[in-house]
Amino acid sequence: MREQEAAVKRVRAVAGFGAAKEPRLPLPKMNTKKKLILYVSLAAAYLLIVMIMGLFMDPELYGVNYENKFLMPSLAHPFGTDFMGRDMFWRSIKGLSNSILVGLAASAVSSVIALVLGILSAVAGGKTDRVINWCVDCCMGMPHIVLLLLISYMMGGGGLGVSVAVAITHWTELTRVVRGEVLQVKNAQYVKAAYKMGHSSWKIAKEHMVPHVLPVYLIGLVLLFPHAIMHEAALTFLGFGFPAGVPAIGGILSEAMKHIVTGKWWLCLFPGLMLLIAVMLFDVIGDKLKMLLNPGSGNE
Amino acid sequence: MKIIKKQITALMIVALIIGTLAGCGNGENAEENSSNISLYVGGTIFDSSLDPVKGAMSYGYPFTNNALTKVSPDSKYVGDLAKDWKISDDARTYTFDLREGVKFHDGSGFTAEDVVFTYETVKKNQGDNTAVDLSRLESVTADSDYSVTFKLSEPYSSFLDQTACLGIVPSDGYDSKAFDKKPVGTGPWKVAQYDTDQKIIVTANSEYYDGTPAIPQVTILNMEGDTAIANAKSGQLDVVMVDPNYAEETVEGMHIENLETMDVRQISLPVTKETSYTTEDGQRITVGNDITADKAVREALAIGIDRQKIINHALNGIGKPANGFTSNLEWGSAANFQDNKKQEAAALLEGAGWKKGEDGIYEKHGQKCQFTICSPTGDTARYQLGTAFSQEAKEIGIQVDVEQRTWDEMYQTAASIGIVWGWGQYDPVVLKNLFYSKAFKGTGTDNTVHYSNKKADQAIETALNAGDHEDAVAAWKKVQEVTADDHAYVYLVNIEHSYFISDKLDISLDTQIPHPHGHGAPVLCNMKDWTLK
Repeated sequence: MREQEAAVKRVRAVAGFGAAKEPRLPLPKMNTKKKLILYVSLAAAYLLIVMIMGLFMDPELYGVNYENKFLMPSLAHPFGTDFMGRDMFWRSIKGLSNSILVGLAASAVSSVIALVLGILSAVAGGKTDRVINWCVDCCMGMPHIVLLLLISYMMGGGGLGVSVAVAITHWTELTRVVRGEVLQVKNAQYVKAAYKMGHSSWKIAKEHMVPHVLPVYLIGLVLLFPHAIMHEAALTFLGFGFPAGVPAIGGILSEAMKHIVTGKWWLCLFPGLMLLIAVMLFDVIGDKLKMLLNPGSGNE
Repeated sequence: MKIIKKQITALMIVALIIGTLAGCGNGENAEENSSNISLYVGGTIFDSSLDPVKGAMSYGYPFTNNALTKVSPDSKYVGDLAKDWKISDDARTYTFDLREGVKFHDGSGFTAEDVVFTYETVKKNQGDNTAVDLSRLESVTADSDYSVTFKLSEPYSSFLDQTACLGIVPSDGYDSKAFDKKPVGTGPWKVAQYDTDQKIIVTANSEYYDGTPAIPQVTILNMEGDTAIANAKSGQLDVVMVDPNYAEETVEGMHIENLETMDVRQISLPVTKETSYTTEDGQRITVGNDITADKAVREALAIGIDRQKIINHALNGIGKPANGFTSNLEWGSAANFQDNKKQEAAALLEGAGWKKGEDGIYEKHGQKCQFTICSPTGDTARYQLGTAFSQEAKEIGIQVDVEQRTWDEMYQTAASIGIVWGWGQYDPVVLKNLFYSKAFKGTGTDNTVHYSNKKADQAIETALNAGDHEDAVAAWKKVQEVTADDHAYVYLVNIEHSYFISDKLDISLDTQIPHPHGHGAPVLCNMKDWTLK
């Protein structure tokens, strides 16, 4: 509830209600919806650009060059260089791009699992419902990072291990949300009325269920991203994720740790900031999408 | 409720402050007694038992326990608990005359019985001890209180090496469990306190037969490498082992010492073409590598790379270029050739039918001159060596991809890729592990290049069965000579161990032995001779 209140307050603030002294950006006059769309597209564009840059980057850009060991940030190397003379700017972009890709895979896999299990659980009910709920409880009962470590280690670590671990452990909460939503819609008066009027199940699902469940599902999918990225970084940081040769923010940060004591501050500051910004942007996107897509607040 | 919570918070803060102050106090106490020292020599000493029977501190120098022999600063075996020894003509009987009047820490006298007990216990529990190999030991008997005779089932020239690696424990007071932390021995140091994974405090043995150590108490601490440097900067440590990466740092009141080792880093290059192979336990694996099987490629790498540049890049210039096992080993015989001969390397490759592609990498029949090498995870220095090697190889026109894998993964794949190995021990049996054709098992660490050379096999057998030490050394040298031209292993560097040493401390460089493998603990080899200025 508190979250909803906060969201409402924020919407009001953006729309200019309540807090009259709220400083305004000198933007052309737009309604809330257009502004939200602008925010979302800006954030999405940033993340997309990072991902694409990483995908098509020439490995030479972040290659080893022992002549340039430990350079401070400069115009040639905006984020400085590390103990093997690798350019930290390109390495960070590539690392973040890898993280986003893992996040993408995780969101895709986890959200499909969540959608299928959530709907199945709500529609089938009975034993199926109990079994699925039990699975969810099992997964949530174990500390997430431990579960990730186990799976990654079992898969032999490396890129595959971390991708699989992150991909198959993020479905639990979304499953619950989808299940709840479907249950609610299933018992709504208008759905029951539609049944009585003789509409087919397919039509009811398409016309009455999906429009309600889809927004929740999409928002859940976007909000999975930051979790997935953080968990990838955490796994790599602990040494169970990407191997040392592959740029990854977690790996960069764990390497940087060793050099903080000798004053190489740029090795951890910039990559850490990049990660933070990416995660926060996903959060922003999810948050704004919630406002846009949620039938309750979409027209405010 | 709120008030109670606040009180609890306040209480916790006070407790924290007191705790921190108390912590500081401890540090000051340690400094108060300025004749004691604190060291950081890495974590390996904390990883395993301190019991010699289980292979502890088996580097050929005395610490808590003495062995029958030890290594001298010029890498020869000299007597420690043994005064002298004789080897029979058939090389199967070793007789040791023991030092008299030596006492264990618990006050009991050292006699031949203790030697018999130690060797028999290790022989019985050989599985617990990978540091000494007593498989050819048939019997050990005490002739008198101060004479002991070993009988071997077959000649084994490396037996003397084993006697330097096994500390003697008292037959009466031996307690397998207690000795893990507090071994009783005849050595210069007694363990006074052992905090698992945190610290080991040793005190000087005032009755040590070779003179009481000058420093009364030494604290060996365990921490992360970077924490150790931070502690050194705040003046809390007197000796700090450091990675070559940190060696450029300056620490007030300390100077850097790069100590000589016999530890080499080499890259294994499989000499056979790719085939399928079934290991003893029925696993099907790939062995061999089509690229490195070409002798021209291996030789081009060996003569073409600039070793000094690799060392400058990867190890901050610390270490010496190496073409083989080091000359500070009695049996070490490195190949003699100049490196950084890029043109000769190119000529070699072209002579073998390789053509340079557009990207500067050689090709033959559509196959790129490209292979993978691996370094163990967690060993940054070896990874850096691998990448520096890869850069040099690229200049020659050979693409080397560097990966990091865990040891377990590398044991599985070692026979089909290059590995950045590190070898450093007094025992020449390492040559058998590297070159003996029957040592190949497909997995593990032995002869991963699948080397097979009749002359080498013969020389290895001669060396192992040699009755005379000189003959054995000559045969071991021959092994290196006959294998040198095949370049199955490209040697890169004879590393040096870097330590920050307090300016007030003299670690007696003259009596340091060339350090064996394992950066860290070997600096303790002559701690008895250390003095504070």
